[in-house]
Amino acid sequence: MIGKAGKVARWLAGAAVALSLATGPALADDTLDRGVGSEWSSLDPQVNFDSAAGWILADAYEGLITFDPDGKIIPGAAESWEASADGKTYTFHLRDGLKWSNGDPLVAQDFVNNVLRTLNPDTVSEKGYYFYSTIKVKGAAALANGETKDPSVLGVTAPDERTVVVEMETPAPHILDLMGSFQMAPLHTPSFEANGAGVFIDPAKVVSNGAYIIKEVVPQSHVLLERNPNYWDAANVNIPFVKYHVTEDVGTELKRYQAGELDITYDIPLADMERLKAETPDEVRVFPSTYLIYYSFNLSNPDLQNIDLRRALSLALDRDVLENKIVKGGATPKLNYAGGFDPEYHGPDIAEAAMSQADREALAKELYAKAGYGPDNPLKLSIATTVAEVNMRRAQGAALMWKKVLGAEVEVNSMERKAWLDLFYTDDWSIFADNLVGDFAGPETFLSYMRPSAEPGYGWEKPEYDAAMDVAAEKPDKASRYIELAKAEKILLDDTIFAPISIEPYRHLVKPNVKGFGTSAAGYNNSQWMTLE
Amino acid sequence: MLRFIGKRLWHGGLTLAALVTLTFFVMRLAPGGPFSRNRKISPEVQANIEAAFHLDEPIWQQFGRFVWGVLRLDLGPSTRHRDYSVNDLIASGLPYSLTIGFWAVVVAAMVGVALGLAGALRRNSATDYLAGIVGVVGIAIPIFVIGPLLQATFALRLDWLPVGGINNGWHSLILPVVVLALPNIAYISRLTRTSMIETQRENYIRTARAKGIGWRRVLWRHTLTGALLPVIAYLGPATAAIITGSILIETIFAVPGIGRHFVDAALNRDYPLVMGITLLYGGILILFNIATDVIRAVLDPRIRNER
Repeated sequence: MIGKAGKVARWLAGAAVALSLATGPALADDTLDRGVGSEWSSLDPQVNFDSAAGWILADAYEGLITFDPDGKIIPGAAESWEASADGKTYTFHLRDGLKWSNGDPLVAQDFVNNVLRTLNPDTVSEKGYYFYSTIKVKGAAALANGETKDPSVLGVTAPDERTVVVEMETPAPHILDLMGSFQMAPLHTPSFEANGAGVFIDPAKVVSNGAYIIKEVVPQSHVLLERNPNYWDAANVNIPFVKYHVTEDVGTELKRYQAGELDITYDIPLADMERLKAETPDEVRVFPSTYLIYYSFNLSNPDLQNIDLRRALSLALDRDVLENKIVKGGATPKLNYAGGFDPEYHGPDIAEAAMSQADREALAKELYAKAGYGPDNPLKLSIATTVAEVNMRRAQGAALMWKKVLGAEVEVNSMERKAWLDLFYTDDWSIFADNLVGDFAGPETFLSYMRPSAEPGYGWEKPEYDAAMDVAAEKPDKASRYIELAKAEKILLDDTIFAPISIEPYRHLVKPNVKGFGTSAAGYNNSQWMTLE
Repeated sequence: MLRFIGKRLWHGGLTLAALVTLTFFVMRLAPGGPFSRNRKISPEVQANIEAAFHLDEPIWQQFGRFVWGVLRLDLGPSTRHRDYSVNDLIASGLPYSLTIGFWAVVVAAMVGVALGLAGALRRNSATDYLAGIVGVVGIAIPIFVIGPLLQATFALRLDWLPVGGINNGWHSLILPVVVLALPNIAYISRLTRTSMIETQRENYIRTARAKGIGWRRVLWRHTLTGALLPVIAYLGPATAAIITGSILIETIFAVPGIGRHFVDAALNRDYPLVMGITLLYGGILILFNIATDVIRAVLDPRIRNER
């Protein structure tokens, strides 16, 4: 009997040892483990439209330029570039001796082929607009719309193996922001033509030019990358392996981080933010993204056609309290629209910015009464929002403030994201908890979106705004362009067709031994800049 | 017997067809489509994308295309996961869901029956109360509470097991399997206990004992066979439910199974993927129900002779 018990005890002890051995060093030190949230939608560089998948692709592919840890534009595959005097033509010079991961020489035409494939209707990519709308590359619209299939109409050309020329219809100093891997990853034509689009998820066949190459792809689980020995700067890539894990559930992601299974998380649960900030302040990295939050007013709603009412609603919101006391997600409150992304852009002077919140609320009450509302005749509206926790908290907070300051009865109408997206175009809403993710960290991507001529969504008619934007679009250099853009933003803000709220941040937890993780508004934190200590 | 199975299969096929048809059309009623976006892209490009996935066709034609695809076992491309077809995604996720589901059923059946037996044989003993407590806890505490609780205990505090993922071989399986099995252990142990107690009071058991057969033999040969009938009836649908119902478990434990794809697909209006997984889940459920009926018919002549 004793012998038997001893055996069982020994077996149990053995099992315990085996368990602890197998799970203790869950991660080797040569692998950087990063969370990517929901599963990437595509690893096809010409098709992917997700920012999280963009991180994986930014490690695997390099554009003409790249972003340093702090989001600054630095030379990538191109070592230098120059703009023509009119700002419409940019010429990029590739580094000498660039190679693909399989050893093939990387040539200028590979970048031209990227644009051609992105625009080709057969690719079914949603990213063509970068080339025909965000910047207006010659011939891009005709190729995207299928008017022509002739590649020679395209304003992106390769006069020789090391030169890429981009010709645009209007000057666009923000072109450089679009020359990174997200829009301008080169295409290795031979492997693509031999295998089709399936090549991009096939580690045996995929050919890339970035600091890393794709080694393993498991849907809903992970993508494993390995250092690319043929990368031009391979000597300065420190971490041998990078593993991107799908981290659908933010609570599980936090636990995996705490257990050492992840080095960098995709997000931080709102409920744990305060505690983590207090306990491990150095590991909490919260910094502004290009994700703008604003509450749009429906201009076809009879109540909201009154500009005094719209202004009253905007002024009544205490954005500091809303973001820092109610939502508590680390967003940056703001009163303007396009500022806060590029420090060089100063934007227009707005009267509200100089006022105290008490003064704003007093003015709000005055305007609310002037518009004909009061305790006997309260405003009744609803906010359409998604069910995401941060959006719900924000909408409930805003409704509360409108109740408290103005006495308005605003209800929160929350719905699933796809329903919310579609609701916008049905016009069956009064206040829309809106957001816009900029194409780059600058004012123009946001201001262009509001052009009445470009986006029919807001039902806002303002020829002056279009005219002011047209003036700005002709300025080839950033400084004079920003002056004109600020004038346009003034016209936009004066009409208060929306209430600006805040800039949503990136929220990451980063282990103390990971060095080189910067704060990039464009969201590129390439693994090649990081080290594990 | 063959006629019995044939009839069940025919009914199952009809049910599946009804399920799939209903899902197809109800799915389209939900607002939003696979390509609704914040940003408007040019109408030509939008039209081109929808045409590539045949979303521009009349709905009856899309349905016809889907049915034709099912008959050829081709479920089409996923609209969200552009690198994969629905077949690829199911092939990649199903093994994980099946592995976890299989072990959860094995654990639930073995532990559940053992606890139930122990409880029935030693009524009101400590073992019986323990089994009762496990039962109440397993049924009352939802998965999304017990899962994170076990993660916090065994992964964070004790550091014995990984929190999630599939990178640690069989260690990665333990927590999801246990959490998935727990509510079923509870049901099965309660079911076994009640059924055992009832069966022990049956006349044929008394007759067997009166004929002088030893209690051990009566227990294994006569009581258990009768008592396990309801458990088997429960296990069939439960197995299907365990395999298809691990959606929450897969999210909590970051298991790349098919349930995760299902939720993702529904939220993203990935019509082909939703249809593919609905078809699969429906098929599994119906097949297990039929299998249960067949096993019960083998064990119990009353059912077999009913029709």
